[in-house]
Amino acid sequence: MNSMNSSLLSDSTAVAAPPRLSATGQAVAVTWRSRFRGGGVYLYLLPSLAFLALFTYYPMGFSAYLSLFRWNVLNPERIFVGLENYLSLWREPLFWLVLRNNLFYALGTIPTTMALALFLAVLVNKNLGRVRSVYRVALFYPTMVPMVAAAMLWVWIFNPGIGLFNYYTSFLGVPRVEWLYDRHWALPAIIIMSIWKNFGYFMLIYLAALQGVPADLYEAASIEGAGAWRRFWGITFPLLTPASLFVFVVAIISSFQVFDQVFVMTQGGPADQTNVLTFYIYQNAFRFWDIGMGATLTTIFICLLLVLILVVFRYVGRRVYYEAD
Amino acid sequence: MTVGERFRIWSRRWRLDHLTTHLTLGFFALVTVTPYLWLLSTSLKLRTEVFTPTPKWIPWPINFGNYAEVFDRAPFGIFLVNTVLVVSGILAAQLLTITLAAYVFARRKFRGVDLLFLLFLIQMMIPIHATFLPNFLTLRNLDLLNTRVAMMLPFFASGYGTFLLRQAFKQIPRDLEDAAVIDGCSGLRFLWHVLIPLAKPTLVAFGLISLVSHWNDYLWPLIVTDTPDVRTLTIGLGMFVQQESGADWTLLMAATAFVTAPLLVIFLVFQRKFIESFMFSGLKGSR
Repeated sequence: MNSMNSSLLSDSTAVAAPPRLSATGQAVAVTWRSRFRGGGVYLYLLPSLAFLALFTYYPMGFSAYLSLFRWNVLNPERIFVGLENYLSLWREPLFWLVLRNNLFYALGTIPTTMALALFLAVLVNKNLGRVRSVYRVALFYPTMVPMVAAAMLWVWIFNPGIGLFNYYTSFLGVPRVEWLYDRHWALPAIIIMSIWKNFGYFMLIYLAALQGVPADLYEAASIEGAGAWRRFWGITFPLLTPASLFVFVVAIISSFQVFDQVFVMTQGGPADQTNVLTFYIYQNAFRFWDIGMGATLTTIFICLLLVLILVVFRYVGRRVYYEAD
Repeated sequence: MTVGERFRIWSRRWRLDHLTTHLTLGFFALVTVTPYLWLLSTSLKLRTEVFTPTPKWIPWPINFGNYAEVFDRAPFGIFLVNTVLVVSGILAAQLLTITLAAYVFARRKFRGVDLLFLLFLIQMMIPIHATFLPNFLTLRNLDLLNTRVAMMLPFFASGYGTFLLRQAFKQIPRDLEDAAVIDGCSGLRFLWHVLIPLAKPTLVAFGLISLVSHWNDYLWPLIVTDTPDVRTLTIGLGMFVQQESGADWTLLMAATAFVTAPLLVIFLVFQRKFIESFMFSGLKGSR
């Protein structure tokens, strides 16, 4: 055991940092012993890397490999078919409908959630006294509710006959809608509940960022005669850009993950109008047992995310992730 | 004195801007809380009381029977135990893996550090929602389907946790390590006795976030579980809904209330800590 350890460790002593200087300029004595002990970087990383490799990186390659096969209930033996799965998806109208639904969901949730979160964060950040924590709790608590439970609750609220939503919106002159049973209104219903569920978390992120905005900037602007509106667009909004980018990236990635709501509220229906990528993969793999097609969709999904990651790291990443260094 | 000036003085005296802020926030807070109050109200009603033309907010007589009936029909107690086991199992493993990795990324220079760190960062953006199918096949090959371990394994490494903790470790002065090394305290012992205690706020924040997000997991446990004895609360609720086929709203809302209650109660008690932690998560990422 001991010899194995030292042989693993000796590898990294070769690249261990040279002796550092302490603050007083004296060289810190680095004995061979302490080098051994401090050196095994790869041993420290091993537990994480093992799980990353098995559950994040191997699946990427594995699904790309499986996507080249026909492998379903009718063909329990894998047959190599090349890109046939991709071609049949290309010709499949449902695939495009699913992508359209994902886009629609993203467009419906992200701007609204961000605007609402920013607006409420600015208000909560004001000098409100002790009630501030009441507002924070009341606006943030949906984050603590499991999405499945929230979805169940909103199925009840969207009930066409005796649901709360139709009842209260009728006072605003909104016509009675069948919501989850209506092919035009099912996806908007899911969007409404998702906004309710998610804006609180983003509000907190904005709130954290707002507390970093120096107060004297506002005082200076007030003396110059800038009103609340000008102060917001002139000071608050530009200084919140990094927070907005962070929220935006998180929101896009989580918009791709929409599943629980769809599963509980509509099962993708009516007429696939709420079928989204994750649910579509689930359907193919676990309802139709078409693993080849599921793997193809998984690969497409991962490629979409990788493109997104590339964009994030290229244009946003340095700012969002490295400024704290 | 112009009308505008008069208005300004008048509004300052009555703190008009304050009032508008409170009214606006109050409105949004009320709208946000309404669904949950409606959930509680429905769960305490008699079956026949649900069908009223106008919403009846106060359940009378109060009927706790729905909760008892939920427990009779599905093993929600077992679901709760399973959830606690899975969530704490994930957190324990994560704390180990992220501490070791974050220490190396914050304190050591070595070949390939940037590339390896990138591998951790990318994991933050490849959620289980994208990889559940190949991961399901992996667990099937490992013969681990329908176990609690299966629900935990994919989350044992956390790019996000490693990232958060690395930032925290980096802020701890280097001199401290030099001093510790001279005193013969290096490597794991330095990590355990110096870095971890100093990074406690970050560990608590990450712990709470991990707890909440895995308490709420649905898709992955849905795929890898088959029988009630290993299922978690969220899956149990989903199954309950299908089993009852949506007819009895008082019962469904009682089950939903029970599933949401543990986390909400803990949240209300420790709300300051939770809110600080979630705020902190964004702060680290956004600045």
